Amino acid sequence: MAAYISMGEAHRRITEYLTRFSDAISSQDGKSLSRLLSVSSDSPALLSLADALNTFQDASRVIRQSERFSQYGDILLHLFRALQSYRLENLVESYMAFEKASNAIVQEFRNWETAWALEALYVIAYEIRILAERADMELASKGKTPEKLKGAGSFLMKVFGVLAGKGPKRVGALYVTCQLFKIYFKLGTVHLCRSVIRSIETARIFDFEEFPVRDKVTYMYYTGRLEVYNENFLAADHKLSYALTHCCTKKEANIRMILKYLVPVKLSIGILPKASLLEKFNLNEYKDVVLALKRGDLRLLRHALEEHEDRFLRSGVYLVLEKLELQVYQRLVKKIYIIQKERDLNRAHQIKLDVIVKALRWLDIDMDVDEVECIMAILIYKNLMKGYFAHKSKVVVVSKQDPFPKLNGKPVNA
Amino acid sequence: MANRSPQPYQPRINNSSSSSSYSSHSDSTQSKIPKASNQIYSNKTSSSSSKTGEFSCRIENSYYEDGDQEPPNLIGTCPFMCPLEERQRRERLRDLAVFERLHGNHAKTSPALAVKKFCRTISSKDMKASDVRPVPVLEDTLNYLLDLLHSSDHPFDVVHDFIFDRTRSIRQDLSMQNVVSDQVIHMYERMVKFHIISYHHLHRSSQTPNTASMSHLNLEQLMKALTTLFSLYEVNRASHSASQNEAEFFSLYLLLHLSPDNQVEPLSLWFRRIPSPVMESRAMSFTRRILRYYRLGNYKRFISTTEEEASYLQYCIVEPYISEVRKLALSCISYGGYKLQPYPVEHLSKILMMKESDVEALSVDCALETSDVGTGKGLVSSKQAVINKTSKEYKKYYELDSSRIRRFVFPVNISASTYIKLNAMAAASGKCLAK
Repeated sequence: MAAYISMGEAHRRITEYLTRFSDAISSQDGKSLSRLLSVSSDSPALLSLADALNTFQDASRVIRQSERFSQYGDILLHLFRALQSYRLENLVESYMAFEKASNAIVQEFRNWETAWALEALYVIAYEIRILAERADMELASKGKTPEKLKGAGSFLMKVFGVLAGKGPKRVGALYVTCQLFKIYFKLGTVHLCRSVIRSIETARIFDFEEFPVRDKVTYMYYTGRLEVYNENFLAADHKLSYALTHCCTKKEANIRMILKYLVPVKLSIGILPKASLLEKFNLNEYKDVVLALKRGDLRLLRHALEEHEDRFLRSGVYLVLEKLELQVYQRLVKKIYIIQKERDLNRAHQIKLDVIVKALRWLDIDMDVDEVECIMAILIYKNLMKGYFAHKSKVVVVSKQDPFPKLNGKPVNA
Repeated sequence: MANRSPQPYQPRINNSSSSSSYSSHSDSTQSKIPKASNQIYSNKTSSSSSKTGEFSCRIENSYYEDGDQEPPNLIGTCPFMCPLEERQRRERLRDLAVFERLHGNHAKTSPALAVKKFCRTISSKDMKASDVRPVPVLEDTLNYLLDLLHSSDHPFDVVHDFIFDRTRSIRQDLSMQNVVSDQVIHMYERMVKFHIISYHHLHRSSQTPNTASMSHLNLEQLMKALTTLFSLYEVNRASHSASQNEAEFFSLYLLLHLSPDNQVEPLSLWFRRIPSPVMESRAMSFTRRILRYYRLGNYKRFISTTEEEASYLQYCIVEPYISEVRKLALSCISYGGYKLQPYPVEHLSKILMMKESDVEALSVDCALETSDVGTGKGLVSSKQAVINKTSKEYKKYYELDSSRIRRFVFPVNISASTYIKLNAMAAASGKCLAK
């Protein structure tokens, strides 16, 4: 907790902060201003200020002493409260105060003509989210319903609105959007992403290329994930690949996050990653899935899904991976076909359903001939297999030309 | 059919707040949910909020004077199914549903017959405690309404409309009072069940514009009630262990969202919120398999697994999908079957679990041909076969040829509310009732 400091020292620290604050604004120094706002950063400067505030207790008097400070009274009072509460570990109070301070800053921001304060605005957006998350944790621990993060989302939507206009400030909109995405994903209210995505992508205010690369990568990552959840694999591939290619190669953790979603997407369109890629980025949960697809090993796929079920469910790719079964069936039948070709080229294209039943039994999978016929019918219908099946003779006859069409970057027909 | 007159309602007389059967602040077995969001009170309906069932928390001990302090939780004191004032007003206006009329008189009702109507525009400030029914009264009201479900004097539409509206009012009273308890949870479960039974009925009835809109509204309220139920489960979870029925209701939600068209929230995200005891339940295991078969197009297992394992409520929801899956089966078989040998209808009737004559009728509905093949009829293959999805016949449902399922669909000589009470969630093996 706070070490003992004298009233004089406390007064000095407060005045020093106030001076820095007003100087930053008057000299339009965005970087300095942003440093003064990062409540959750645990920077020594802000921590010592918080101690001073908790000691001095009447900072408003100091603010009123000089016109230079009192003109920002609205902002400063709430900001001080936020810092004090944060130091005393009252996260709910801290969030609420910070939101009020941020609101006051955003009002000023609207009047500042250039975009000099964007960096400070970024810090505000970030802090709003972080403090809200921690406030919600505090609420939950006390058995109350967490709702600060939801409020943070509403607040950031307002900030987005402020930035969505002509002028240089609009390049900040994508950063705020990404903070919103993080909030909505955490809350599970991803349908709220729709309106902000629409503003970014279709409203004529923004030119996507103008935004900073870092923000574009984050944006494409989140929108790519949404496409994965909605099973729009081509769009997901496009967005996540964009994120991957534009992501700084040194940021391996970020690359891993992107790949975690891109790999299932690629698998769904028939593109298999190299084992070395999976190893390099520690994505071993996909190893057996890829192997199952290569081998046509249905048992291995089901086993892999079971083994990593929690992880796949949490990231939301479980259903995508489950659907790969059809491609595994395709591969299995293809292998039988290849083996048959080696024995008797002329009759290889006729595959008895009983042989498939047997092959599945070797994999400990119990399927009767009716179900196998059903699967064959589906494979043909979805163009994973070319040919026909004869019910009476219990045989599937594959076409002599390209009997197992590759997906080649297209998802399986719906 | 039985002409049971509904049990007359006996209003609870002692409504003093000292009664232990009422929810009170000091009752330690009940917990309060933080004040419900003002959805129901204001005219605005924010669909996103109501779908996720989020509640806002009252800010306590705040340094800040928030203008939007919520009023303290209401405790209802109305002892009747319908508040006196409303009953008298509706008598004057001759605004009485057929079930509320005393001896058919359009202008006369009684405390045993009148049930509070749902009111769209109510603000919590205008609400008086005497207009709100406390939980025990609401439960009695619900019992009365569900008994009516089996009243066969009137067509299903009429009964449904009445119970639809009056249970909506019950939910309104409940949310205003903000109580979470096993009793309230059980009430919501029963109301969800009502909507599911209606869902099933409405899907089977002839598709007029009227039933289509009833269907849509019913589904809307089903989802709202289900969402609220999930919130109640969550609040209850903190203080109690999970409700026994929770797993079945989660499975019902999932079954309602098998198709991507129906999903507001992507299923992949919804899955993350399922508590692990629910995930491991038999109900969820059944439902996840059904989901997998549906998504993969495994029509054989979709139908056979449903027939084998679906509970009554699960079946009510899956039934519309069965038609869809059968049509997929016919499409696949027509598309990929050997042209020179029409696929035997007899075998189709086995895997699709329908009578042979129904298979033929369904083929006609789908503009597919059958022909004579000596031993019977067969489905003619045609790669050009186009199934006309918009024809009216396309929506007709053919019975699942199964004795187990038949017992669900035609319950004999029992009141629906008894049926509902007895058909508990336990066995997904579809325990049916003895007569």
